Amino acid sequence: MISSQNETARTPSRPQGTHICPICCIIPPHMSDHILKHGDEKMQTWMMETIRRSEQFQGRREVIGNFALALSPGEKRRTVYDARKRETLPGKLVRSEGGRKSRDVAVNEAYDGAGATYDLYHDVFERNSIDDQGLRMDSTIHYGVQYDNAFWNGNQMVYGDGDGRLFNRFTIAIDVIGHELTHGVVQYEAGLIYQGESGALNESFADVFGSLVKQRSLNQTVDQADWLIGAGLLAPGIQGVALRSLKEPGTAYDDPMLGKDPQPAHYSSRYRGSQDSGGVHINSGIPNHAFYLAAMEVGGFAWEKVGKVWYITLRDVLRSRASFSKAADATISVAGQLYGQSSHEQTAIRKAWQTVGVIE
Amino acid sequence: MKDEGKTMQITVERTGGFTGIPVTKIIDSKTLPQQEAARLHKMMTEADFFKLPTTISSSPQPDRFQYRITVEQEAKQHSVTVDETVVPANLKPLLNWLMAQPAQPATH
Ligand SMILES: [Zn+2]
Repeated sequence: MISSQNETARTPSRPQGTHICPICCIIPPHMSDHILKHGDEKMQTWMMETIRRSEQFQGRREVIGNFALALSPGEKRRTVYDARKRETLPGKLVRSEGGRKSRDVAVNEAYDGAGATYDLYHDVFERNSIDDQGLRMDSTIHYGVQYDNAFWNGNQMVYGDGDGRLFNRFTIAIDVIGHELTHGVVQYEAGLIYQGESGALNESFADVFGSLVKQRSLNQTVDQADWLIGAGLLAPGIQGVALRSLKEPGTAYDDPMLGKDPQPAHYSSRYRGSQDSGGVHINSGIPNHAFYLAAMEVGGFAWEKVGKVWYITLRDVLRSRASFSKAADATISVAGQLYGQSSHEQTAIRKAWQTVGVIE
Repeated sequence: MKDEGKTMQITVERTGGFTGIPVTKIIDSKTLPQQEAARLHKMMTEADFFKLPTTISSSPQPDRFQYRITVEQEAKQHSVTVDETVVPANLKPLLNWLMAQPAQPATH
């Protein structure tokens, strides 16, 4: 089912700057090393892109030539860098695929979390890494000073250490890692614009697949899962269990310093202000909860059925400006194709979107 | 040197980020030790704050921060909204210093 891509639905959006530079593959390594060490950020980013592209190019050539290669596309390829509290990316290489475990727990968390995310996409959805072409998964840890954030910058994952008073290190929760990598997947697929409802859908897909990475790594059924995003991320003394809850949006924390979890579970309570790109981290609670309700109704392992519907919807159907109601219709339609019209799965998904008030 | 005698009230609101939790810092230069106040004035001058555009934005990227810095100094008031990915180099020291100040409790 998964391999039959419906390309008529839309043209996949690709990240900017995908032109191929003819000199890319002939820059001597010492020169690229020099640029990576001493160039400015723009230059370094360009150099990293160049190296990536040439690796991919070489990978393809070697597949054509039928050589066995240690690092060929189709395999998990992870690298972890240490920014050592600076903001220069990618930082110093500290672990690459197959490399020894580090004494630094953040290195291993970033490495293992990227691995679990790769495995979910590969084993369940037959997707080969973020771009479905075996893209190397790069992570940088110890970014900035007391940096309370994690992000996907278009090319790689970046994790801060947290300030220690409000937040712990951002690699501590495996669903945060799955979340960031999924922003990469969204970028290569639906390309959901990070503003308003399409932005909240972008956030929601990241939370849903982030949670599925955690559930699968723990082999949890829908009843066993905690359905939380960022469990363990809140520093000691902060009143809360996590950052977001797919099960009960709006209940993850309530603390004098952080305030109260603002996520709505129903469309009528959606945030309409301009902060946070139109509340992308707030209104994501609505589609998050729809996924949770559908998964609970279907039962078993959430990634097997409802997860598959969400993945196919993201990959084949949604366009970059999709609204909540478009996403609802798309998942119902995909469920019909995968499991049959009026199937239990399709009915569960329709009912879930009705319960959160997105469709009637 | 003249400006150093004038007190400033600064408000910084950080929104967005993976957590989506807004953080606000309010700084009154009157309450700062003299050395810190002088440092603040120097960073303000280096940033040429009152001449910065009101909005410095890039296309939105997932989970990045946005800052809104408001400075009041006697009759003058200026607000700058800036995306994390495009913070001007001469504003960065001021922003880092502001964000290192103690946070205000959440208001909601
Ligand atoms: Zn996100």
